[in-house]
Amino acid sequence: MDTIKYIIKRILQTIPLLIIVSMISFFIIRLSPVDPLAELKLNPSVSPETVEKEKARLGLDKPIIIQYGKWALSFARGDLGITSTGEKVSQKLGERIPNTLLLTTIVILLTWLVGVPLGIIAAVRWKTNLDRILTVLTSIGMAIPSFFFAVLLLMFAVKTGWFPIGGLTSPNFADMSFGAKFWDITHHLILPVIVLFTISLAGLQRQMRANMLDVLDSDYVKFARAKGVSEGVVIYKHALRNALNPMITLLGFEFAGLLSGAALTEYVFQYPGLGRLILEAVLKSDINLVMASLMMGAIMLVIGNLIADILLIITDPRIRSKS
Amino acid sequence: MRGRVFRVLLFLVLAALLLRACIVQDIPTKIPQNNNEYQTNTVESYPIPKNVTIDGVDYLQSQAQVGNFGGTLVSSTIGEGPKTFNPFNCKDNTSAILSGVMYDGLFTTNPVTGDVAPKLAKGYTISPDGKVYTIYLRHGIKWSDGKPITADDVVFTWQNIIFGGFGDTSTRDSLVINGKLPIVRKYGDYIVVFSIPEPYAPFLRSLSMSIAPKHVFYPAVQKGKEYFDSFLSTNSKPQDFVVSGAFKLKEYVPAQRVVFERNPNYYEINSKNEKLPYLDKLVYLIVGDLNNEVLKFEAKELDVISLQGSKVARYKSLEQYSDFKLYNLGPDTGTMYISLNLNNRKNDKGKYYVDPIKQKWFSDLNFRRAVDYSIDRKNMVLNIANGIGVPLFTPESLNSIYLNKRLKSYNKDINAAKILLKKSGFKTDKRGQLFDKYGNRVEFNLYTNAGNTEREAIGVMVKQDLEDLGMKVNFKPIEFNSLVNKLVSTFDWDMVIMGLTGSPLEPNGGKNVWMSDGRLHMFNMRTPQEGKAGILPWEKELDLMFEKGALATKFEDRKIYYDKYQEIVYNQKPMIYIYSPIRIVAIRDKFKNIYPSSLGGITHNIEEIYIGHDKVHN
Repeated sequence: MDTIKYIIKRILQTIPLLIIVSMISFFIIRLSPVDPLAELKLNPSVSPETVEKEKARLGLDKPIIIQYGKWALSFARGDLGITSTGEKVSQKLGERIPNTLLLTTIVILLTWLVGVPLGIIAAVRWKTNLDRILTVLTSIGMAIPSFFFAVLLLMFAVKTGWFPIGGLTSPNFADMSFGAKFWDITHHLILPVIVLFTISLAGLQRQMRANMLDVLDSDYVKFARAKGVSEGVVIYKHALRNALNPMITLLGFEFAGLLSGAALTEYVFQYPGLGRLILEAVLKSDINLVMASLMMGAIMLVIGNLIADILLIITDPRIRSKS
Repeated sequence: MRGRVFRVLLFLVLAALLLRACIVQDIPTKIPQNNNEYQTNTVESYPIPKNVTIDGVDYLQSQAQVGNFGGTLVSSTIGEGPKTFNPFNCKDNTSAILSGVMYDGLFTTNPVTGDVAPKLAKGYTISPDGKVYTIYLRHGIKWSDGKPITADDVVFTWQNIIFGGFGDTSTRDSLVINGKLPIVRKYGDYIVVFSIPEPYAPFLRSLSMSIAPKHVFYPAVQKGKEYFDSFLSTNSKPQDFVVSGAFKLKEYVPAQRVVFERNPNYYEINSKNEKLPYLDKLVYLIVGDLNNEVLKFEAKELDVISLQGSKVARYKSLEQYSDFKLYNLGPDTGTMYISLNLNNRKNDKGKYYVDPIKQKWFSDLNFRRAVDYSIDRKNMVLNIANGIGVPLFTPESLNSIYLNKRLKSYNKDINAAKILLKKSGFKTDKRGQLFDKYGNRVEFNLYTNAGNTEREAIGVMVKQDLEDLGMKVNFKPIEFNSLVNKLVSTFDWDMVIMGLTGSPLEPNGGKNVWMSDGRLHMFNMRTPQEGKAGILPWEKELDLMFEKGALATKFEDRKIYYDKYQEIVYNQKPMIYIYSPIRIVAIRDKFKNIYPSSLGGITHNIEEIYIGHDKVHN
């Protein structure tokens, strides 16, 4: 019961937060000198009447406060509005979200499945050769900028011809059998997954290793060992459970990054995800689309944190008793 | 021990990967000496398709070589892909190209001569007074769903959609003549008559606008303008499209590609009377930027690519080892220019848009000509366009059919420039700094849009060239939108480097730039309230040329007016033209019937292009 109350309280707290985020973003976009009609104005064959009509259609002829009010009202009703070219924002986002989720979920699953065990192993085998090799590899992983790595891999793909140059499916995708379709998507996903995986794996492995080392050094672990508990039980029952707590918070952030975390890599690989869509929207000051994506990011972050907190309540009795 | 084995293995794998990547042979880049090197692949002139009648059906018959059926051509479009497939809603280039593939117009442009060539219509006549256009449609041709294409479709398209103000209204706006629109009527099923209130030469070319199938568009028009704006948008199902063009939408995958398949009812046949197009599929990949496009071409995912100047030399040297050919399409339709702000009026707060001291310089013809003489166009072509460009001196692009060929080009002449400045009382001091006759230091701002590396490079060179004259130039690349704002709203700029894309076929499109009350009359922009205030004599003359040019209907008559307008700009130098880039396109050599042209590009005859089976590598 307490937990449910806590969740409701947390959700209510996010409302003013979202309002502030939306106001700041809206005003920054609108007050920037980017004129969404600049291209139209510079086209010799477009008449002044058309420019005026377009201005009225996008609501640019009204004061900025009213523009914001209109946007906020329809957003609250669940209507994301239309893009500057007249397409529905919700549908534009809907086209891209599954693709981005496909990529980021695979990456997150892979990094957690590989990163956490590697972190534990490195901590347990502290200062052995294996630990050192892992340290070197993860340092490299953290040091390479993601877009640079992505470009290198693209060059590699061009030179060898082993991988497609970006995208998600081949031109003849529609005519393929199910098995061929599955392979086609996998083939396209390999390179972007490698980039994102290398980079997030490094951070995660280091984090897990540090947590584990901390815990392994604590008194209760020493005590357990002194009691003569077997090493396996010490590590997996006593140490690991405690070392996982900070990782749960991290998982909350990973959730927030599900939709926005891969933007740069998506752009380099011409992946049909949200990254390219939003970049173009920002450049053209396509306000509804930009606002929708910013709000989506904010909401995802809030939800991610909420999930992490709830998970912590479940896993950690100390927090449970406090709340 | 295990650690060592692991390390050795890791090293071997890495080394193998790197070696594989290096296997591709490096070919030394050869720098071309002149543009002529790219002329090697020009081909014999394009055989224009003819009208033929077989069993009562008026086909268009291709005169090009008979080819094989089947295959796919993969092209690309840069950016985020189409916004709509409705040819009447297109506001961006990509959408216009892609919907143009599916919906033919009554006429098209002869890719070689620039004349009007038949498409859905087989011919036309114009009445002697230039006010009545009679269009003859083809008998027996069909939409992709089998319904006949008749005068009803044409009248509906023009009367209800275009003149009705549906979708993008720019065609309608350009055809309002003395406040009146043309009248469209049909006579029988295959004759349509347009009556226009005044003779208006650009009218005929505007008939190349797509024609809509009435049985599909009529319900949408009934539902009103708002519904029409989202009609046949990018989320329509491919089977909803009923088309007249060579290809029909098969699949659209957002941010990835648009796939077209052949329209079995297309009205063009080859000389063996087989229905075109040859290709089964036409694919446009949606690529985000130029770099990705190049990578995709090199990885053979793309069949055709338009090359930037900096890439041409490398591709030229690769050509003989590879499976593609380069074609020179000649100068681009885009023009790059430096403009000076001749505005001498005040804004509504009583402040001059341009500092009065600077106004005196810019309004001085000698000053403008001196600037023109000091610009080293050849050097810019060589250094910025990598030699793939031609110096430009006229407002019409070099491939324009109205280009005034009598206007001569010249080289940088710093002495002539100095003499002109001296004539107007400008003086240089001991340090070579330039002062006007009132003792003011000649110093002004030069703007361009930041991020456009070509214009930024031009700016740097212009600055250096002008500094040779002793002028102080503050070169300021600023954000595109802010620059547009300066040019069309606040008018607070001195000199700017910009580019415009004009039509090589219809100079009337430039009237917004050249007429004194035009919306893009940047060099002496007037607000709508100002009307034609403070009009200069030569501006008046320009207005006259554009008015007369639009009213005359014969090409020869129009040419006289448009020649004169180019001459005025050439003499008065409100805009100083710099160069035109040359378009170089690479296409896989398995494609045959390639007749590149400056006006039509490389795939203007997409229905005639086929894949040859002989794989010749030389």
